[in-house]
Amino acid sequence: MAKRITIDPITRIEGHLRVDVEIDNDRVSDAWASCTMWRGIEKILEGRDPREAWLFTQRFCGVCTTVHAIASVRAVEDALKLEIPANAQYIRNLILINHGLHDHIVHFYHLSALDWVDVLQIPKADPGKTSSLAESLSPWVRNSRNEMKAAQDKVKAVAESGQLGIFANGYWGHPAMHLPPEVNLLAFSHYLQALEFQRKANQVVGMLGGKTPHIQNLTVGGVSNAINLDSQAVLGMERLEQIKVLMDEVTSFVQQVYLPDACAISAMYADWFDIGGGVKNYLAVPDLPIDARSTQFDLPGGYIPGANVNAVRPFHSHADEVFRQSVIEDVTHSYYAGKTRLHPWKGETVPEYTDWHSDKKYSWVKAPRFENRPTQVGPLAQVLVGYAHGHDLTRKWTDVALDKISAVAGKKIGVGHLHSTMGRHAARAIRACMLAELSQKHWQLLVDNIAKGDVSIHNPPSFPNGEIQGVGTHEAPRGTLSHWTVIDGGKIKNYQAVVPSTWNASPRDINGAHGPYEASLLNSPIANPELPLEVLRTIHSFDPCMACACHTFDPTGNQIAQVKVL
Amino acid sequence: MKRVLIAGIGNVLLGDDGVGPYVVRMLAASYEFEPGVQVEDLGTPALDLIDHLTATDALILVDSVENGAPAGTVEVYSKENILRCGAPVRMDPHSPALTESLLAADFVGSAPTELLLIGVSGSRFEAGCQLSSPVKAAVPHVVEEILLELDRLDVGYEPAKEKRTDIWWDTVLTPCTSATR
Repeated sequence: MAKRITIDPITRIEGHLRVDVEIDNDRVSDAWASCTMWRGIEKILEGRDPREAWLFTQRFCGVCTTVHAIASVRAVEDALKLEIPANAQYIRNLILINHGLHDHIVHFYHLSALDWVDVLQIPKADPGKTSSLAESLSPWVRNSRNEMKAAQDKVKAVAESGQLGIFANGYWGHPAMHLPPEVNLLAFSHYLQALEFQRKANQVVGMLGGKTPHIQNLTVGGVSNAINLDSQAVLGMERLEQIKVLMDEVTSFVQQVYLPDACAISAMYADWFDIGGGVKNYLAVPDLPIDARSTQFDLPGGYIPGANVNAVRPFHSHADEVFRQSVIEDVTHSYYAGKTRLHPWKGETVPEYTDWHSDKKYSWVKAPRFENRPTQVGPLAQVLVGYAHGHDLTRKWTDVALDKISAVAGKKIGVGHLHSTMGRHAARAIRACMLAELSQKHWQLLVDNIAKGDVSIHNPPSFPNGEIQGVGTHEAPRGTLSHWTVIDGGKIKNYQAVVPSTWNASPRDINGAHGPYEASLLNSPIANPELPLEVLRTIHSFDPCMACACHTFDPTGNQIAQVKVL
Repeated sequence: MKRVLIAGIGNVLLGDDGVGPYVVRMLAASYEFEPGVQVEDLGTPALDLIDHLTATDALILVDSVENGAPAGTVEVYSKENILRCGAPVRMDPHSPALTESLLAADFVGSAPTELLLIGVSGSRFEAGCQLSSPVKAAVPHVVEEILLELDRLDVGYEPAKEKRTDIWWDTVLTPCTSATR
């Protein structure tokens, strides 16, 4: 008989991802993803000065601050048809790249690796063997026996104290965990090192953005980083060299540690390349413009319908008409009143809460659809779109990763296997390697452009009378982000943010089609409904970011996620 | 030199959740501190909080709390109070992560030795840039608690010569003529 389980992190301010799954014969037979809080933050923007909107939008979320700031200034610039100077493109790009690297490193090591790595197996590992294994996988300099031993000693101390602290709530010893002790130790020693390297990437964001979190250097029309190569006070050669040193270190870590680890772990769980696919329509927008007019990009965009990479439809610019016309938001199963499907420029945000009903409304998330189809966004979409385009950089790192995975797995893992839970992890590591390489390129583009004597950073905006509309897109760490705004007489009339996790966490639509999280869970194995690790693995592979908006601390300790078996 | 971080946490777009950032901006505008003291509006950093925990000897956090007390109640929590809660199972990897960040920093041996959380009970958490009146009325009490903690830590401060608050979100709608930031 089918069993229903609910996984719902309980907090005082409900604003979290809730997942309900129906289990039949140890497999997921149906799934519902919902968000339990209405935010409607976009309403705050109505009536405000479009030049200040980015200050507010970067507070939508505490982790993804930068991405909402960028999408906002791009939306207003699009409405004004305002170009920005090349220096401003490169400075923004370097911020976006380093934010992305920081985010991907944290996601892999600190937010999802422990779904696969069993910390309690670490005391059994042989540090010498671990070091040899690590050295066989990568030339990384910090894989010595001593490094492994130090990481193991930390875990041993915690395990012996009986106070697991940060690791208290892992699914240790779960039957779906099966890495050898040495691989657990290897990954964990890099978990500790990753804390250092994610910080270095974030330091670059802070050095260019003035501050982190919450960068200060954007303006509609460019950036506010004054440039003078000979000055230490503004953006000069000394600061640029410091940034380069940090980026070199992060690049080495990503290419010599993150990628080999992601490949080794995914290869040892190779069955997860056949689980968790779900929605196979993929969307990515072009990003990292390399000219002032945003006509050329270092990351390609496009739409892939139904897993068919040969049918990819490229987007040639931020202003691509196919993209603009094809996005709608459906509220059939979302707690909103009004028309069922609306284009974001016409979008409404009128709440209508009706309790959780599996066959009616059950989520605060709207259901974005591309050409009326549920669509997956994120690193996997980015990699597949790039691969479909024959984009050199994407192909290079995808091939490197698939070769490494196949070698460890002892069987061929190809591009077709990427439509899966493990495929999303592999794609994120591939994208991180691409971003690391591009960080070097965009640093050089900036330095060369300044060396030519161009120090311009800003084109001033001017607002016409009457109504204009714009869309600002950014291919963020979690996927396609778009801010849609209507401006009337220099004031914001409507503002809608269609965020990556809305695409992926969307509920069913008017046709009953599952959103990507929901579809990815269908048919997943579940070894133990009381400890639904498999559900967490697949959901975490998307890197969800739902409720970062609200942060109230609950000192009663009621923060433990609840698993209810009905 | 003692490194002290006074950090406000919360979302300034969600009513009383913004009390932390509001308080630290008021504090920064009203006082000058001895070298080594940093006052930061950290927004809602989730696990990124770890980075701010690692380079400091003493941490004073201001956050909204839910403890059943009436709005505007100010309550002080120790490091032990916070760690007692344990780390939650995460569905969404970016949910609030004060306890986890602290546990992680503790694990790598870089957590601050001194930690105090000053919690303010809120009542309104829906979209909006203003604090409710009981919470706004509590702001001077929170500032007082911060100064008491600085006294205990033997850290010097004095009233600012010129008061410049920058609570940019707490404004009536600005006309289009206002300066671009």
